[in-house]
Amino acid sequence: MPSEPHIFGIRHHGPGSARSLVRALESLSPDCLLVEGPPDAESILPLAAHAAIHPPVALLIYDPEQLRRSVYYPFAEFSPEWQAIRFGLARSIPVRFIDLPQSIQMGLAARTEAEAAVEPPPDANPTQHPDASSELNTAPDAPPACSPEAPLEGPDSLRADPLTHLAMAAGFSDGERWWEHLVEHRRGGENVFHAVLEAMTALREAALPTHRSPADAARETLREAHMRQALREAQRDGFERIALVCGAWHAPALAQRPAAREDAALLKGLPKRKVAATWIPWTHGRLAQASGYGAGIESPGWYEFLWQHAHASGTELTLRWLIRVSRLLRGEDLDASSASVIEAVRLAESLAALRGQPLPGLSELNEATRCVLCFGDALPLRLIEQKLVIGERLGSVPEETPSVPLARNLTQEQKRLRFPPEATHKDIDLDLRKANDLDRSRLLHRLRLLSVPWGEPRKDSASRQGTFHEFWNLQWRPEFAVALIEAAVWGNTIADAASAKASHDADASADLPALTALLDTVLLADLPAAASRLMTRLQSVAAVSSDVAHLMDALPPLAGILRYGHVRKTDTGMVGVVTDGLVARITIGLPVACGSLDDDAAEAMVDRIRMSDSAIDLLQCRQHTEAWRSALQRLIDLPGIHGLVAGRACRLLYKSRAIDPTEMSRRVSLALSTANPPIRSACWIDGLLRDGGLLLLHDENLWNILDAWIAQLTPTAFLAALPLLRRAFSNLTAAERRQLGERVAKGPDNTKTPGLVLPTEFDEARANQVLPLLAQLLGLPS
Amino acid sequence: MTTALRQHAEHQFAHELTLLAASDTKPRPPQWKLSPWSVATYLLGGTLESGEVITPKYYGDRRLVEVAIATLATDRALLLLGVPGTAKTWLAEHLAAAISGDSTLLVQGTAGTSEESLRYGWNYAELLAKGPSRRALVPSPMMRAMEEGKIARVEELTRIPADVQDTLITLLSEKNLPIPELGEEVQAVQGFNVIATANNRDRGVNELSSALKRRFNTVVLPLPDDLEDEVRIVQARVEQLGRALQIPAEPPALEEVRRVVTVFRELRNGVTADGKTKLKSPSSTLSTAEAIGVINQGLSLAAHFGDRTLRAADAASSLIGAIVKDPVQDHVVWQEYLETVIKEREGWKDFYRACRKVE
Repeated sequence: MPSEPHIFGIRHHGPGSARSLVRALESLSPDCLLVEGPPDAESILPLAAHAAIHPPVALLIYDPEQLRRSVYYPFAEFSPEWQAIRFGLARSIPVRFIDLPQSIQMGLAARTEAEAAVEPPPDANPTQHPDASSELNTAPDAPPACSPEAPLEGPDSLRADPLTHLAMAAGFSDGERWWEHLVEHRRGGENVFHAVLEAMTALREAALPTHRSPADAARETLREAHMRQALREAQRDGFERIALVCGAWHAPALAQRPAAREDAALLKGLPKRKVAATWIPWTHGRLAQASGYGAGIESPGWYEFLWQHAHASGTELTLRWLIRVSRLLRGEDLDASSASVIEAVRLAESLAALRGQPLPGLSELNEATRCVLCFGDALPLRLIEQKLVIGERLGSVPEETPSVPLARNLTQEQKRLRFPPEATHKDIDLDLRKANDLDRSRLLHRLRLLSVPWGEPRKDSASRQGTFHEFWNLQWRPEFAVALIEAAVWGNTIADAASAKASHDADASADLPALTALLDTVLLADLPAAASRLMTRLQSVAAVSSDVAHLMDALPPLAGILRYGHVRKTDTGMVGVVTDGLVARITIGLPVACGSLDDDAAEAMVDRIRMSDSAIDLLQCRQHTEAWRSALQRLIDLPGIHGLVAGRACRLLYKSRAIDPTEMSRRVSLALSTANPPIRSACWIDGLLRDGGLLLLHDENLWNILDAWIAQLTPTAFLAALPLLRRAFSNLTAAERRQLGERVAKGPDNTKTPGLVLPTEFDEARANQVLPLLAQLLGLPS
Repeated sequence: MTTALRQHAEHQFAHELTLLAASDTKPRPPQWKLSPWSVATYLLGGTLESGEVITPKYYGDRRLVEVAIATLATDRALLLLGVPGTAKTWLAEHLAAAISGDSTLLVQGTAGTSEESLRYGWNYAELLAKGPSRRALVPSPMMRAMEEGKIARVEELTRIPADVQDTLITLLSEKNLPIPELGEEVQAVQGFNVIATANNRDRGVNELSSALKRRFNTVVLPLPDDLEDEVRIVQARVEQLGRALQIPAEPPALEEVRRVVTVFRELRNGVTADGKTKLKSPSSTLSTAEAIGVINQGLSLAAHFGDRTLRAADAASSLIGAIVKDPVQDHVVWQEYLETVIKEREGWKDFYRACRKVE
């Protein structure tokens, strides 16, 4: 007669469960530990006892041939599974993972995908999670996801965290506090697990008929069958005190075991794929997201705190937490006195009493914090959420850990592109018209995004727009291997990881120029998903940016992408949308932004106006050009505008023929009237002529306007204007000044038609011979 | 007997308060007329065991109300913050009515509020005739609340000059009020507490000192967080007010109300209703109360100068008036919103044209 196993139904990542589990294991001292986890990872299980492993870490199971197919099983210090594994390894008790192997789960998923590829609806998700939906049979329609009895989001959350549902039903805001209340106050070692087993049995009976989709149910049946089989095997191996640790939901299915041959029949002939496993560092932030053990936990930092203060009493916990909060606030220069902490403790406790709970939970603590320590302000609460409730802990793994799929993917890519890493320094020149070189360039850009700067773009290389060539300095450094392990948290292929990292960076930054620079890199790296995320982000940041200068800085690179993007075959559709928004905002905000500028600010603004003008020229969109011109028009009419800006705006308008020569001459004389302060006039003409000597030389009209204006000056007025003019002209280059001087010396030449300076003698017949070829070159219909 | 234009909460809802007190079995803090649980039921509404229905007084987050009640139960003073039109005063009045059965111990905060209205004044005829005595003393509502163990209310705390606000500091921490002229003091009886309300938009009026802030637990009352809720509140209030003011117009179409509320919400939240586009927010508050004002004004325009039905053009001018308070910055914000959001929106063409016309 095989020995009856001790089944411990736990709450994934529940510190209370972990504590009760450790206590129960100590009193039981089992000779075999079975843990709900992927058997594929058993080979690297001993690493969990390594001195250099620090949770949070995750087991990564992946398909070496299809790196995108992967599953993470994260563990925190306070995860019951982690505590069980460490307990077993420390005492040299055999530890076995008993879940349905991922090799089979992935085999099933691959089969489903293959079937889906044949049938029309291809909605199979390549990255699948054990508790996420992956269709076993191609069921066309799943039953309605939600039923009225489900108090939370639906069946998935019920099965992933059934204890929290029971806690909610008991009026608690948080499953941990409920567990605490049930267990800590009754000191009931293993009894609590009997209670959990009974509760789950009842819950499963109530939930089973309504809460299942057939595919999920089928997969769960398989998983539980496999767990039972693993249990039977352990019994056959002659272990006497078997401890089985699994999610509370599965406990009843393992306690009530049908005949072994039923399970064996279920598990027969399932497809399999080869998988590999490794440990990777994890973060508290990622624990908060949904992953391998189903739904993520909302407050890893709070759980860690509960785990670390296992022996503190209720009030002491409340107090210690609020003291941590107040210390954090003080670190950020916010007032948080000890007296306020005392008041916050009192409020949290009376709130708990009002809600009929014996102890304040996280939500009571947060409300008390906001109300007393933050004076009702929600902003500091976000800081607390980020730093304390979620926490910023980053795990680490020992060096012996098998290589991560990301590194493998890089090796594959390097082989494919015939691009071996070399430790010596090397310069290369990539011709982007060649497919192989284009892919190499993308790979280098992606690696740069992942902080693996294998290649550095050479500064002296000509700009992207002008050429098909890209120049890089290459050097592979050993520390890149470590950087790759760190980057593994972002994804399993270089493209996925770079995309995820860029999206994350985009969300973290609120600085327009930084975002545009990132966008540039992302487009160079050809990551459409990240690019669209960045676009959305850019758009939302641009919308709230009140700094027109920033908007104007962001425009030229975007216009460049829009105009020249096709060189690199990037999709520029989304850029157009963002650019439209930018232009609209710039044209509306420009006059206000130019309202009161000092000399330095005006210099910077003139530069921006010049850049924006050429960017808008580049866009070649009539609507934008018109809006821009009307903004400039409003600018020059603005009272009190800086002369430099007004002068330059005038010239831009004149150049684009938005104002005609008569109007221009009126403007010149208006701006240079003696009633104006001399400095302003000087600035105005400086703005007009700044790096525009050639324009003046070749534009007869502008020349005539200035000439006429000077000619009509009275001698006194001329003397007054002379210093201004000298100053403005001194900014032109020496050669331009010389040419201008020569032109003046020749005197007015009214006999000549402006613009026509060629000799009249030419052979028309010979000239006509060129025309057909010219027409052909220009693509004109002959 | 003449009828007051507006009755006190404890009179208007006397019946409900009696019912609640009768069925209340939970422990009550000293001097409280109801237990904290019953106070919550009174404010948020519910059904008693006897089947009697309690009407909700405050529509909003249950947790906020619970925090407010728990604060008063810890003998800490309560500060209700919020933009204008978020029912701060309303909530304070009903809390006082439910807890002390008396919402009249009220100090109206203005720039002219003096120390006497927070402490005590003198009957000068009596004072001159017989010298200082308790008979010559005129107690403030605050002092009476201390003596009787009731809730005192301070309206618009931030409008009270800073030096007068300071009177509250010792009063709230020591819970006594010395009367040096008589060599006496008034000690607060159990049950005394203070509910203050303040506007957190124009906080700059008389910013609370950190010493005073520390003596309050602060609860920020939010604007309605659901479009349909807000539309319903606006619709209902507009109809009530329209009857009171006797505006001879049709009740506004739900569609027009929804548009105004949508514009208000989008600009206030800085993001479009579909959550896809970010927007700049203007300097104006854009509270629900202002939305009610915009609709009302539009109605009156329609009644007297239009065809008695609220049209886009009637709403547009008062809408822009409510949004553009700062002629430069707000104007830019509004223009951006008009050109990037309203212009593109399906079925809003008439609204866009009406707004353009007002420009």
